[in-house]
Amino acid sequence: MTQLLIGQLLNGLIVGTLYGIIALGVTLTFGITGIVNFALGEFMMIGAYSAWYLADVVGLPYPVALLPAVAIAGLCGLAADQLLFRFTRDNLVNGLLVSIGLISIIESGALLSWTATPKEMDYVLSGTVRLAGIGLPKMRLVVFALLAAVIFLTYVGLMRTWLGRAAYAYAQNPEAARLMGVRTGLLQSGVFVYSTALAGLGGALYATLYSLEPFMGGLYVLKGVEAAILGGIGSLSGALVGGLILGVTESIGAIFLPTAFRDAYGLIFVVAILVLRPGGLFGEGR
Amino acid sequence: MIAALAAVALALVPLVVKADFVLTIFIFSFILGIAAVGFDIIFGIAGQLSMFHAASFGIAGYTTFLVMKAWALSFWLGLLPALALVVAMSVVIGSICFKFRLKAFYFAVVTLAFSELARLVVMNWTGLTNGTLGLMIMAKPVIGFGSLSRPIEGTLAWYYLTLVSLALAVVAARAVVRSWIGRACGAIRLNEDLAQTLGIDIFRYKMLAFAIANVLAALAGALFAFYTGYIDPSYLSIGQSLDIIAMVLIGGQGTVLGPVVGAFVLTGLPHLIEIGAEQRAMLIGAILIAAILLFPRGIVGSLIRLARRAV
Repeated sequence: MTQLLIGQLLNGLIVGTLYGIIALGVTLTFGITGIVNFALGEFMMIGAYSAWYLADVVGLPYPVALLPAVAIAGLCGLAADQLLFRFTRDNLVNGLLVSIGLISIIESGALLSWTATPKEMDYVLSGTVRLAGIGLPKMRLVVFALLAAVIFLTYVGLMRTWLGRAAYAYAQNPEAARLMGVRTGLLQSGVFVYSTALAGLGGALYATLYSLEPFMGGLYVLKGVEAAILGGIGSLSGALVGGLILGVTESIGAIFLPTAFRDAYGLIFVVAILVLRPGGLFGEGR
Repeated sequence: MIAALAAVALALVPLVVKADFVLTIFIFSFILGIAAVGFDIIFGIAGQLSMFHAASFGIAGYTTFLVMKAWALSFWLGLLPALALVVAMSVVIGSICFKFRLKAFYFAVVTLAFSELARLVVMNWTGLTNGTLGLMIMAKPVIGFGSLSRPIEGTLAWYYLTLVSLALAVVAARAVVRSWIGRACGAIRLNEDLAQTLGIDIFRYKMLAFAIANVLAALAGALFAFYTGYIDPSYLSIGQSLDIIAMVLIGGQGTVLGPVVGAFVLTGLPHLIEIGAEQRAMLIGAILIAAILLFPRGIVGSLIRLARRAV
Protein backbone atom coordinates (compact mmCIF):
# COMPACT_ATOMS: atom_id res chain seq x y z
CA MET A 1 0.00 0.00 0.00
CA THR A 2 2.77 2.44 0.97
CA GLN A 3 4.59 1.58 -2.24
CA LEU A 4 1.46 2.28 -4.25
CA LEU A 5 0.71 5.48 -2.38
CA ILE A 6 4.22 6.88 -2.80
CA GLY A 7 4.35 5.81 -6.43
CA GLN A 8 1.09 7.59 -7.10
CA LEU A 9 2.26 10.61 -5.14
CA LEU A 10 5.32 10.90 -7.36
CA ASN A 11 3.21 10.47 -10.48
CA GLY A 12 0.92 13.17 -9.19
CA LEU A 13 3.80 15.54 -8.56
CA ILE A 14 5.16 15.07 -12.10
CA VAL A 15 1.79 15.54 -13.74
CA GLY A 16 1.25 18.42 -11.34
CA THR A 17 4.41 20.22 -12.48
CA LEU A 18 3.20 19.76 -16.08
CA TYR A 19 -0.12 21.35 -15.10
CA GLY A 20 1.88 23.97 -13.23
CA ILE A 21 3.95 24.99 -16.24
CA ILE A 22 0.81 25.47 -18.32
CA ALA A 23 -0.81 27.31 -15.42
CA LEU A 24 2.23 29.57 -15.23
CA GLY A 25 1.76 30.43 -18.92
CA VAL A 26 -1.95 31.05 -18.39
CA THR A 27 -1.29 33.35 -15.43
CA LEU A 28 1.52 35.28 -17.14
CA THR A 29 -0.43 35.79 -20.36
CA PHE A 30 -3.53 36.87 -18.47
CA GLY A 31 -1.63 39.34 -16.30
CA ILE A 32 0.22 41.03 -19.14
CA THR A 33 -1.93 40.70 -22.26
CA GLY A 34 -5.34 40.49 -20.61
CA ILE A 35 -6.41 37.32 -22.41
CA VAL A 36 -6.55 33.65 -21.54
CA ASN A 37 -4.76 31.61 -24.15
CA PHE A 38 -6.63 28.33 -24.38
CA ALA A 39 -4.35 27.27 -27.23
CA LEU A 40 -1.41 26.83 -24.80
CA GLY A 41 -2.10 23.10 -24.75
CA GLU A 42 -1.60 23.05 -28.52
CA PHE A 43 1.83 24.64 -28.13
CA MET A 44 2.59 21.90 -25.63
CA MET A 45 1.53 19.38 -28.26
CA ILE A 46 3.76 21.11 -30.84
CA GLY A 47 6.70 20.90 -28.42
CA ALA A 48 6.01 17.22 -27.77
CA TYR A 49 5.74 16.25 -31.43
CA SER A 50 8.81 18.33 -32.32
CA ALA A 51 10.86 16.57 -29.66
CA TRP A 52 9.62 13.17 -30.82
CA TYR A 53 10.30 14.03 -34.47
CA LEU A 54 13.80 15.41 -33.85
CA ALA A 55 14.81 12.59 -31.52
CA ASP A 56 13.21 9.53 -33.11
CA VAL A 57 12.82 10.40 -36.81
CA VAL A 58 15.79 12.73 -37.39
CA GLY A 59 17.87 10.82 -34.83
CA LEU A 60 19.26 13.60 -32.67
CA PRO A 61 20.15 12.69 -29.10
CA TYR A 62 17.29 13.79 -26.85
CA PRO A 63 19.12 16.52 -24.90
CA VAL A 64 20.14 18.10 -28.22
CA ALA A 65 16.61 17.84 -29.58
CA LEU A 66 15.08 19.49 -26.52
CA LEU A 67 16.20 23.04 -27.29
CA PRO A 68 15.04 23.19 -30.94
CA ALA A 69 11.72 21.64 -29.88
CA VAL A 70 11.18 24.44 -27.40
CA ALA A 71 12.28 26.96 -30.02
CA ILE A 72 9.76 25.60 -32.54
CA ALA A 73 6.93 25.98 -30.02
CA GLY A 74 8.13 29.50 -29.24
CA LEU A 75 8.32 30.43 -32.94
CA CYS A 76 4.80 29.15 -33.49
CA GLY A 77 3.82 31.26 -30.51
CA LEU A 78 5.49 34.30 -32.06
CA ALA A 79 3.62 33.75 -35.31
CA ALA A 80 0.30 33.34 -33.47
CA ASP A 81 0.95 36.49 -31.48
CA GLN A 82 1.88 38.65 -34.45
CA LEU A 83 -0.83 37.35 -36.77
CA LEU A 84 -3.72 36.96 -34.32
CA PHE A 85 -3.36 37.85 -30.66
CA ARG A 86 -1.80 41.27 -31.34
CA PHE A 87 -5.33 42.32 -32.30
CA THR A 88 -7.09 40.96 -29.24
CA ARG A 89 -5.03 42.59 -26.47
CA ASP A 90 -7.07 43.25 -23.34
CA ASN A 91 -10.20 41.91 -25.00
CA LEU A 92 -10.83 38.80 -22.98
CA VAL A 93 -13.75 37.30 -24.87
CA ASN A 94 -12.24 37.89 -28.30
CA GLY A 95 -8.88 36.51 -27.18
CA LEU A 96 -10.58 33.47 -25.72
CA LEU A 97 -12.51 32.77 -28.90
CA VAL A 98 -9.51 33.35 -31.18
CA SER A 99 -7.45 30.94 -29.10
CA ILE A 100 -10.28 28.41 -29.29
CA GLY A 101 -10.39 28.78 -33.08
CA LEU A 102 -6.63 28.29 -33.13
CA ILE A 103 -7.07 25.02 -31.21
CA SER A 104 -9.16 23.50 -33.99
CA ILE A 105 -6.68 24.65 -36.61
CA ILE A 106 -3.57 23.28 -34.88
CA GLU A 107 -5.30 20.11 -33.73
CA SER A 108 -6.60 19.20 -37.16
CA GLY A 109 -3.21 20.14 -38.63
CA ALA A 110 -1.60 17.62 -36.28
CA LEU A 111 -4.22 15.01 -37.16
CA LEU A 112 -3.48 15.46 -40.85
CA SER A 113 0.29 15.27 -40.40
CA TRP A 114 0.60 12.50 -37.82
CA THR A 115 -2.83 10.79 -37.72
CA ALA A 116 -4.61 9.88 -34.50
CA THR A 117 -2.39 6.85 -33.82
CA PRO A 118 -0.45 7.52 -30.58
CA LYS A 119 3.30 7.93 -30.97
CA GLU A 120 5.67 6.36 -28.48
CA MET A 121 9.10 7.87 -28.07
CA ASP A 122 12.06 5.57 -27.44
CA TYR A 123 13.33 5.45 -23.87
CA VAL A 124 15.63 8.35 -23.21
CA LEU A 125 16.74 7.27 -19.79
CA SER A 126 15.75 3.93 -18.39
CA GLY A 127 16.23 2.38 -15.00
CA THR A 128 15.09 3.31 -11.55
CA VAL A 129 16.59 4.77 -8.44
CA ARG A 130 15.83 2.85 -5.27
CA LEU A 131 15.06 5.10 -2.37
CA ALA A 132 14.02 3.62 0.97
CA GLY A 133 12.86 0.47 -0.75
CA ILE A 134 10.75 2.28 -3.35
CA GLY A 135 11.72 2.28 -7.02
CA LEU A 136 11.57 5.69 -8.71
CA PRO A 137 12.02 5.84 -12.52
CA LYS A 138 15.00 8.06 -13.32
CA MET A 139 13.37 9.89 -16.21
CA ARG A 140 10.44 10.96 -14.05
CA LEU A 141 12.79 12.46 -11.49
CA VAL A 142 14.68 14.31 -14.23
CA VAL A 143 11.47 15.71 -15.71
CA PHE A 144 10.21 16.77 -12.30
CA ALA A 145 13.50 18.47 -11.45
CA LEU A 146 13.75 20.27 -14.81
CA LEU A 147 10.20 21.60 -14.71
CA ALA A 148 10.48 22.69 -11.10
CA ALA A 149 13.78 24.41 -11.89
CA VAL A 150 12.30 26.29 -14.85
CA ILE A 151 9.31 27.44 -12.82
CA PHE A 152 11.61 28.52 -9.99
CA LEU A 153 13.92 30.42 -12.39
CA THR A 154 10.93 32.19 -13.93
CA TYR A 155 9.87 33.21 -10.45
CA VAL A 156 13.33 34.49 -9.58
CA GLY A 157 13.62 36.23 -12.94
CA LEU A 158 10.38 38.09 -12.39
CA MET A 159 11.30 39.03 -8.84
CA ARG A 160 14.89 40.11 -9.34
CA THR A 161 15.37 41.57 -12.82
CA TRP A 162 14.38 44.85 -14.41
CA LEU A 163 12.25 42.96 -16.90
CA GLY A 164 10.32 41.31 -14.11
CA ARG A 165 9.69 44.61 -12.37
CA ALA A 166 8.55 46.08 -15.69
CA ALA A 167 6.09 43.22 -16.06
CA TYR A 168 4.78 43.76 -12.54
CA ALA A 169 4.49 47.50 -13.14
CA TYR A 170 2.58 46.80 -16.33
CA ALA A 171 0.21 44.39 -14.61
CA GLN A 172 -0.56 47.03 -11.97
CA ASN A 173 -0.88 50.07 -14.19
CA PRO A 174 -0.22 49.78 -17.93
CA GLU A 175 -0.30 53.49 -18.58
CA ALA A 176 2.12 54.43 -15.82
CA ALA A 177 4.46 51.65 -16.94
CA ARG A 178 4.44 53.02 -20.47
CA LEU A 179 5.25 56.49 -19.17
CA MET A 180 8.17 55.06 -17.21
CA GLY A 181 9.74 53.77 -20.42
CA VAL A 182 8.46 50.19 -20.52
CA ARG A 183 8.03 49.14 -24.13
CA THR A 184 4.66 47.62 -23.54
CA GLY A 185 4.07 46.14 -27.00
CA LEU A 186 7.36 44.28 -26.82
CA LEU A 187 6.64 43.18 -23.26
CA GLN A 188 3.26 41.74 -24.23
CA SER A 189 4.64 39.85 -27.22
CA GLY A 190 7.59 38.65 -25.15
CA VAL A 191 5.40 37.28 -22.38
CA PHE A 192 3.06 35.63 -24.86
CA VAL A 193 5.96 33.91 -26.66
CA TYR A 194 7.59 32.94 -23.36
CA SER A 195 4.40 31.26 -22.20
CA THR A 196 4.15 29.26 -25.43
CA ALA A 197 7.82 28.24 -25.12
CA LEU A 198 7.16 27.09 -21.53
CA ALA A 199 4.26 25.01 -22.80
CA GLY A 200 6.57 23.64 -25.54
CA LEU A 201 9.13 22.64 -22.91
CA GLY A 202 6.41 20.94 -20.91
CA GLY A 203 5.40 19.05 -24.05
CA ALA A 204 8.95 18.06 -25.00
CA LEU A 205 9.44 16.57 -21.52
CA TYR A 206 6.00 15.00 -21.57
CA ALA A 207 7.06 13.13 -24.72
CA THR A 208 9.69 11.18 -22.76
CA LEU A 209 7.11 9.80 -20.32
CA TYR A 210 3.80 9.32 -22.11
CA SER A 211 2.57 8.55 -25.60
CA LEU A 212 1.61 11.42 -27.90
CA GLU A 213 -1.66 12.04 -29.64
CA PRO A 214 -3.02 15.16 -31.34
CA PHE A 215 -5.72 15.74 -28.71
CA MET A 216 -3.37 15.80 -25.71
CA GLY A 217 -3.33 19.60 -25.60
CA GLY A 218 -7.01 20.12 -24.89
CA LEU A 219 -6.88 18.13 -21.67
CA TYR A 220 -3.72 19.77 -20.38
CA VAL A 221 -4.82 23.33 -21.04
CA LEU A 222 -8.05 22.68 -19.17
CA LYS A 223 -6.02 21.39 -16.23
CA GLY A 224 -3.61 24.32 -16.53
CA VAL A 225 -6.45 26.82 -16.40
CA GLU A 226 -7.98 24.98 -13.46
CA ALA A 227 -4.63 25.01 -11.65
CA ALA A 228 -4.15 28.73 -12.37
CA ILE A 229 -7.60 29.56 -10.98
CA LEU A 230 -7.05 27.31 -7.98
CA GLY A 231 -3.76 29.02 -7.15
CA GLY A 232 -5.12 32.44 -8.00
CA ILE A 233 -4.79 34.08 -11.40
CA GLY A 234 -1.81 36.42 -11.34
CA SER A 235 0.12 34.46 -8.72
CA LEU A 236 3.23 32.64 -9.98
CA SER A 237 3.74 30.42 -6.94
CA GLY A 238 -0.02 29.81 -6.96
CA ALA A 239 0.27 28.37 -10.48
CA LEU A 240 2.80 25.76 -9.35
CA VAL A 241 1.02 24.91 -6.11
CA GLY A 242 -2.35 24.76 -7.88
CA GLY A 243 -0.85 22.37 -10.43
CA LEU A 244 0.69 20.17 -7.74
CA ILE A 245 -2.52 20.03 -5.70
CA LEU A 246 -4.49 19.08 -8.79
CA GLY A 247 -1.97 16.48 -9.97
CA VAL A 248 -1.64 14.83 -6.54
CA THR A 249 -5.40 14.81 -5.94
CA GLU A 250 -5.95 13.10 -9.27
CA SER A 251 -3.38 10.39 -8.76
CA ILE A 252 -4.20 9.70 -5.10
CA GLY A 253 -7.90 9.83 -5.94
CA ALA A 254 -7.33 7.16 -8.59
CA ILE A 255 -6.43 4.69 -5.81
CA PHE A 256 -9.68 5.09 -3.93
CA LEU A 257 -12.24 6.10 -6.55
CA PRO A 258 -12.86 4.91 -10.11
CA THR A 259 -10.64 6.63 -12.67
CA ALA A 260 -13.74 8.06 -14.33
CA PHE A 261 -13.64 10.74 -11.61
CA ARG A 262 -10.16 11.84 -12.64
CA ASP A 263 -11.22 14.83 -14.71
CA ALA A 264 -13.91 15.85 -12.24
CA TYR A 265 -11.62 16.91 -9.35
CA GLY A 266 -10.29 19.98 -11.13
CA LEU A 267 -13.74 21.07 -12.23
CA ILE A 268 -15.04 20.75 -8.68
CA PHE A 269 -12.00 22.63 -7.33
CA VAL A 270 -12.61 25.48 -9.75
CA VAL A 271 -16.27 25.87 -8.85
CA ALA A 272 -15.51 25.61 -5.13
CA ILE A 273 -12.61 28.07 -5.14
CA LEU A 274 -14.46 30.66 -7.24
CA VAL A 275 -17.42 30.52 -4.90
CA LEU A 276 -15.52 30.39 -1.59
CA ARG A 277 -12.39 32.39 -2.31
CA PRO A 278 -12.54 33.97 -5.77
CA GLY A 279 -8.96 35.28 -5.60
CA GLY A 280 -7.62 31.73 -5.44
CA LEU A 281 -5.45 30.18 -2.72
CA PHE A 282 -2.59 32.62 -3.21
CA GLY A 283 -4.32 35.68 -4.64
CA GLU A 284 -5.85 38.54 -2.74
CA GLY A 285 -9.60 38.25 -2.17
CA ARG A 286 -11.47 39.82 -5.02
CA MET B 1 -40.75 41.51 -42.37
CA ILE B 2 -37.60 40.05 -43.90
CA ALA B 3 -37.88 37.17 -41.46
CA ALA B 4 -41.46 36.42 -42.53
CA LEU B 5 -40.50 36.52 -46.22
CA ALA B 6 -37.56 34.24 -45.56
CA ALA B 7 -39.80 31.80 -43.69
CA VAL B 8 -42.29 31.69 -46.59
CA ALA B 9 -39.45 31.24 -49.08
CA LEU B 10 -38.01 28.41 -46.99
CA ALA B 11 -41.44 26.78 -46.74
CA LEU B 12 -41.56 26.70 -50.55
CA VAL B 13 -38.06 25.26 -51.00
CA PRO B 14 -39.14 21.57 -50.99
CA LEU B 15 -41.46 22.27 -53.96
CA VAL B 16 -38.43 23.18 -56.06
CA VAL B 17 -35.63 21.17 -54.49
CA LYS B 18 -36.27 17.44 -54.40
CA ALA B 19 -32.80 16.22 -53.51
CA ASP B 20 -32.79 14.63 -50.04
CA PHE B 21 -29.17 15.58 -49.62
CA VAL B 22 -29.91 19.31 -49.92
CA LEU B 23 -33.01 19.17 -47.71
CA THR B 24 -30.99 17.33 -45.05
CA ILE B 25 -28.55 20.23 -44.90
CA PHE B 26 -31.52 22.56 -44.44
CA ILE B 27 -32.88 20.41 -41.61
CA PHE B 28 -29.55 20.40 -39.76
CA SER B 29 -29.29 24.16 -40.26
CA PHE B 30 -32.79 24.66 -38.85
CA ILE B 31 -32.10 22.56 -35.77
CA LEU B 32 -28.69 24.08 -35.02
CA GLY B 33 -30.19 27.49 -35.81
CA ILE B 34 -32.55 27.07 -32.84
CA ALA B 35 -29.60 26.46 -30.51
CA ALA B 36 -27.71 29.40 -32.03
CA VAL B 37 -30.69 31.76 -31.60
CA GLY B 38 -30.76 30.69 -27.94
CA PHE B 39 -27.05 31.27 -27.46
CA ASP B 40 -27.41 34.72 -28.99
CA ILE B 41 -29.75 35.72 -26.15
CA ILE B 42 -27.22 34.99 -23.42
CA PHE B 43 -24.14 36.07 -25.40
CA GLY B 44 -25.23 38.64 -27.99
CA ILE B 45 -27.91 40.33 -25.90
CA ALA B 46 -26.88 39.83 -22.27
CA GLY B 47 -23.14 39.68 -23.01
CA GLN B 48 -22.34 36.54 -20.98
CA LEU B 49 -20.14 33.91 -22.62
CA SER B 50 -21.89 30.72 -21.54
CA MET B 51 -20.28 27.37 -22.32
CA PHE B 52 -23.22 25.37 -21.03
CA HIS B 53 -25.38 25.10 -24.14
CA ALA B 54 -23.77 21.87 -25.35
CA ALA B 55 -24.76 20.32 -22.03
CA SER B 56 -28.36 21.53 -22.38
CA PHE B 57 -28.36 20.27 -25.95
CA GLY B 58 -27.20 16.79 -25.00
CA ILE B 59 -29.01 16.43 -21.68
CA ALA B 60 -32.34 17.24 -23.35
CA GLY B 61 -31.68 14.65 -26.04
CA TYR B 62 -30.94 11.94 -23.48
CA THR B 63 -33.72 12.91 -21.07
CA THR B 64 -36.41 13.07 -23.74
CA PHE B 65 -35.51 9.65 -25.03
CA LEU B 66 -35.10 8.01 -21.61
CA VAL B 67 -38.35 9.45 -20.25
CA MET B 68 -40.19 8.37 -23.40
CA LYS B 69 -38.80 4.86 -23.10
CA ALA B 70 -39.38 4.50 -19.35
CA TRP B 71 -43.02 5.62 -19.31
CA ALA B 72 -43.99 4.97 -22.93
CA LEU B 73 -44.80 8.64 -23.50
CA SER B 74 -44.92 10.59 -26.75
CA PHE B 75 -41.98 12.74 -27.85
CA TRP B 76 -43.74 15.94 -26.79
CA LEU B 77 -44.57 14.64 -23.30
CA GLY B 78 -41.00 13.39 -22.99
CA LEU B 79 -39.69 16.78 -24.05
CA LEU B 80 -41.43 18.57 -21.15
CA PRO B 81 -39.47 16.92 -18.31
CA ALA B 82 -36.30 17.40 -20.37
CA LEU B 83 -36.96 21.13 -20.65
CA ALA B 84 -37.89 21.25 -16.95
CA LEU B 85 -34.61 19.53 -16.05
CA VAL B 86 -32.61 21.98 -18.15
CA VAL B 87 -34.41 24.94 -16.55
CA ALA B 88 -33.69 23.52 -13.08
CA MET B 89 -30.00 23.09 -13.96
CA SER B 90 -29.89 26.62 -15.37
CA VAL B 91 -31.33 27.97 -12.12
CA VAL B 92 -28.78 26.11 -10.00
CA ILE B 93 -25.78 27.02 -12.15
CA GLY B 94 -27.06 30.53 -12.78
CA SER B 95 -27.55 31.06 -9.05
CA ILE B 96 -24.00 29.99 -8.33
CA CYS B 97 -22.53 32.18 -11.07
CA PHE B 98 -24.64 35.28 -10.68
CA LYS B 99 -24.90 35.26 -6.90
CA PHE B 100 -21.13 35.19 -6.59
CA ARG B 101 -20.80 37.71 -9.41
CA LEU B 102 -18.71 35.52 -11.68
CA LYS B 103 -18.30 37.49 -14.88
CA ALA B 104 -16.61 37.21 -18.27
CA PHE B 105 -13.83 34.60 -18.07
CA TYR B 106 -14.95 33.21 -14.72
CA PHE B 107 -18.51 32.74 -15.94
CA ALA B 108 -17.21 30.97 -19.03
CA VAL B 109 -14.96 28.69 -16.97
CA VAL B 110 -17.62 27.76 -14.40
CA THR B 111 -20.26 27.03 -17.04
CA LEU B 112 -17.63 25.03 -18.94
CA ALA B 113 -16.83 23.12 -15.74
CA PHE B 114 -20.48 22.20 -15.22
CA SER B 115 -20.84 21.26 -18.87
CA GLU B 116 -17.84 18.94 -18.64
CA LEU B 117 -19.12 17.44 -15.38
CA ALA B 118 -22.42 16.73 -17.11
CA ARG B 119 -20.53 15.05 -19.95
CA LEU B 120 -18.53 12.92 -17.50
CA VAL B 121 -21.74 11.83 -15.77
CA VAL B 122 -23.39 10.93 -19.08
CA MET B 123 -20.27 9.09 -20.23
CA ASN B 124 -19.89 7.03 -17.05
CA TRP B 125 -23.50 6.33 -16.13
CA THR B 126 -23.42 3.38 -18.49
CA GLY B 127 -26.49 1.66 -17.06
CA LEU B 128 -28.63 4.54 -18.17
CA THR B 129 -26.80 6.03 -21.16
CA ASN B 130 -24.80 3.11 -22.54
CA GLY B 131 -21.62 5.21 -22.10
CA THR B 132 -19.56 6.24 -25.08
CA LEU B 133 -21.34 3.74 -27.34
CA GLY B 134 -24.44 5.91 -27.29
CA LEU B 135 -28.07 5.00 -27.79
CA MET B 136 -30.04 4.25 -30.92
CA ILE B 137 -33.36 6.11 -31.05
CA MET B 138 -35.99 4.32 -33.09
CA ALA B 139 -39.01 6.32 -31.89
CA LYS B 140 -40.23 9.30 -33.87
CA PRO B 141 -42.20 12.36 -32.77
CA VAL B 142 -45.92 12.11 -33.59
CA ILE B 143 -48.13 15.05 -34.39
CA GLY B 144 -51.93 15.26 -34.36
CA PHE B 145 -54.46 13.37 -32.24
CA GLY B 146 -56.27 10.08 -32.56
CA SER B 147 -56.89 8.94 -36.10
CA LEU B 148 -55.24 12.08 -37.50
CA SER B 149 -51.89 11.44 -35.84
CA ARG B 150 -48.86 11.05 -38.08
CA PRO B 151 -45.33 10.11 -37.10
CA ILE B 152 -42.66 12.48 -38.36
CA GLU B 153 -40.78 10.29 -40.78
CA GLY B 154 -38.89 11.00 -43.93
CA THR B 155 -37.08 14.14 -45.02
CA LEU B 156 -40.08 16.25 -45.96
CA ALA B 157 -41.93 15.82 -42.65
CA TRP B 158 -38.77 16.61 -40.72
CA TYR B 159 -38.15 19.62 -42.94
CA TYR B 160 -41.45 21.21 -41.96
CA LEU B 161 -41.29 20.18 -38.30
CA THR B 162 -37.85 21.74 -37.86
CA LEU B 163 -38.74 24.81 -39.94
CA VAL B 164 -41.79 25.47 -37.78
CA SER B 165 -39.75 24.92 -34.62
CA LEU B 166 -37.12 27.36 -35.83
CA ALA B 167 -39.76 29.93 -36.76
CA LEU B 168 -41.33 29.63 -33.31
CA ALA B 169 -37.89 29.97 -31.70
CA VAL B 170 -37.14 33.10 -33.74
CA VAL B 171 -40.52 34.64 -32.94
CA ALA B 172 -40.07 33.88 -29.24
CA ALA B 173 -36.49 35.17 -29.21
CA ARG B 174 -37.51 38.34 -31.00
CA ALA B 175 -40.36 38.92 -28.55
CA VAL B 176 -37.91 38.52 -25.67
CA VAL B 177 -35.31 40.80 -27.25
CA ARG B 178 -37.82 43.55 -27.96
CA SER B 179 -39.46 43.36 -24.55
CA TRP B 180 -38.21 44.94 -21.34
CA ILE B 181 -36.19 41.77 -20.76
CA GLY B 182 -34.11 42.41 -23.87
CA ARG B 183 -33.56 46.04 -22.94
CA ALA B 184 -32.54 45.17 -19.40
CA CYS B 185 -30.12 42.53 -20.72
CA GLY B 186 -28.71 45.02 -23.24
CA ALA B 187 -28.05 47.47 -20.42
CA ILE B 188 -26.27 44.73 -18.45
CA ARG B 189 -24.09 43.91 -21.47
CA LEU B 190 -23.08 47.52 -22.05
CA ASN B 191 -22.40 48.44 -18.44
CA GLU B 192 -23.33 46.16 -15.61
CA ASP B 193 -22.56 48.60 -12.79
CA LEU B 194 -24.56 51.35 -14.42
CA ALA B 195 -27.47 48.98 -15.06
CA GLN B 196 -27.51 48.10 -11.39
CA THR B 197 -27.42 51.76 -10.41
CA LEU B 198 -30.46 52.32 -12.60
CA GLY B 199 -32.35 49.76 -10.57
CA ILE B 200 -32.17 46.80 -12.96
CA ASP B 201 -32.18 43.51 -11.07
CA ILE B 202 -29.05 42.04 -12.65
CA PHE B 203 -29.43 38.63 -11.05
CA ARG B 204 -32.99 38.19 -12.34
CA TYR B 205 -32.31 39.22 -15.94
CA LYS B 206 -29.08 37.31 -16.32
CA MET B 207 -30.88 34.26 -14.97
CA LEU B 208 -33.78 34.73 -17.38
CA ALA B 209 -31.43 35.10 -20.36
CA PHE B 210 -29.44 32.04 -19.26
CA ALA B 211 -32.57 29.91 -18.81
CA ILE B 212 -34.13 30.96 -22.13
CA ALA B 213 -30.86 30.26 -23.95
CA ASN B 214 -30.61 26.81 -22.40
CA VAL B 215 -34.22 25.95 -23.14
CA LEU B 216 -33.73 26.72 -26.83
CA ALA B 217 -30.51 24.67 -26.86
CA ALA B 218 -32.47 21.84 -25.19
CA LEU B 219 -35.22 21.94 -27.81
CA ALA B 220 -32.58 21.80 -30.54
CA GLY B 221 -30.83 18.91 -28.81
CA ALA B 222 -33.99 16.82 -28.56
CA LEU B 223 -34.86 17.43 -32.22
CA PHE B 224 -31.28 16.68 -33.27
CA ALA B 225 -31.16 13.38 -31.37
CA PHE B 226 -34.49 12.21 -32.78
CA TYR B 227 -33.70 13.31 -36.31
CA THR B 228 -30.37 11.51 -36.43
CA GLY B 229 -31.83 8.58 -34.43
CA TYR B 230 -28.68 8.38 -32.31
CA ILE B 231 -27.19 10.08 -29.29
CA ASP B 232 -23.81 9.79 -27.61
CA PRO B 233 -21.77 11.84 -25.09
CA SER B 234 -20.13 13.87 -27.89
CA TYR B 235 -23.38 15.87 -28.01
CA LEU B 236 -22.18 17.45 -24.77
CA SER B 237 -18.62 18.10 -25.92
CA ILE B 238 -16.88 21.46 -25.87
CA GLY B 239 -16.72 21.23 -29.65
CA GLN B 240 -20.51 21.31 -29.85
CA SER B 241 -20.55 24.53 -27.82
CA LEU B 242 -17.88 26.02 -30.05
CA ASP B 243 -19.76 25.24 -33.26
CA ILE B 244 -22.75 27.15 -31.92
CA ILE B 245 -20.59 30.07 -30.80
CA ALA B 246 -19.03 30.19 -34.27
CA MET B 247 -22.50 30.26 -35.86
CA VAL B 248 -23.54 33.24 -33.75
CA LEU B 249 -20.32 35.14 -34.42
CA ILE B 250 -20.41 34.56 -38.16
CA GLY B 251 -24.08 35.42 -38.51
CA GLY B 252 -23.88 38.44 -36.25
CA GLN B 253 -24.32 38.55 -32.50
CA GLY B 254 -27.32 40.32 -31.01
CA THR B 255 -29.35 40.22 -34.23
CA VAL B 256 -31.69 37.22 -33.64
CA LEU B 257 -31.67 36.32 -37.36
CA GLY B 258 -27.88 36.39 -37.62
CA PRO B 259 -27.36 33.10 -35.78
CA VAL B 260 -29.73 31.37 -38.23
CA VAL B 261 -27.66 32.67 -41.14
CA GLY B 262 -24.53 31.52 -39.31
CA ALA B 263 -26.03 28.06 -38.84
CA PHE B 264 -26.69 27.85 -42.58
CA VAL B 265 -23.19 28.98 -43.48
CA LEU B 266 -21.41 26.61 -41.10
CA THR B 267 -23.64 23.62 -41.87
CA GLY B 268 -23.73 24.14 -45.61
CA LEU B 269 -20.18 25.25 -46.34
CA PRO B 270 -18.46 21.93 -45.62
CA HIS B 271 -20.90 20.24 -48.03
CA LEU B 272 -20.48 22.75 -50.84
CA ILE B 273 -16.78 22.06 -50.98
CA GLU B 274 -15.79 18.42 -50.65
CA ILE B 275 -13.64 18.13 -47.54
CA GLY B 276 -12.89 15.64 -44.80
CA ALA B 277 -13.60 15.92 -41.09
CA GLU B 278 -10.14 17.30 -40.23
CA GLN B 279 -10.30 20.00 -42.88
CA ARG B 280 -13.80 20.85 -41.69
CA ALA B 281 -12.56 21.46 -38.13
CA MET B 282 -9.72 23.54 -39.53
CA LEU B 283 -12.13 25.56 -41.68
CA ILE B 284 -14.44 26.26 -38.73
CA GLY B 285 -11.48 27.41 -36.66
CA ALA B 286 -10.29 29.72 -39.44
CA ILE B 287 -13.80 31.10 -39.98
CA LEU B 288 -14.19 31.70 -36.24
CA ILE B 289 -10.92 33.65 -36.09
CA ALA B 290 -11.68 35.60 -39.27
CA ALA B 291 -15.16 36.46 -38.01
CA ILE B 292 -13.78 37.86 -34.76
CA LEU B 293 -10.84 39.77 -36.18
CA LEU B 294 -12.22 40.95 -39.54
CA PHE B 295 -16.03 40.96 -39.27
CA PRO B 296 -16.88 41.53 -35.62
CA ARG B 297 -20.46 42.36 -36.57
CA GLY B 298 -21.03 39.17 -38.55
CA ILE B 299 -22.95 38.82 -41.79
CA VAL B 300 -26.33 40.14 -40.65
CA GLY B 301 -24.78 42.82 -38.46
CA SER B 302 -22.75 44.15 -41.41
CA LEU B 303 -25.83 44.10 -43.68
CA ILE B 304 -27.87 46.06 -41.13
CA ARG B 305 -25.09 48.61 -40.93
CA LEU B 306 -24.92 48.90 -44.73
CA ALA B 307 -28.69 49.32 -44.94
CA ARG B 308 -28.64 52.04 -42.29
CA ARG B 309 -25.93 53.90 -44.15
CA ALA B 310 -27.84 53.71 -47.43
CA VAL B 311 -30.96 55.25 -45.89
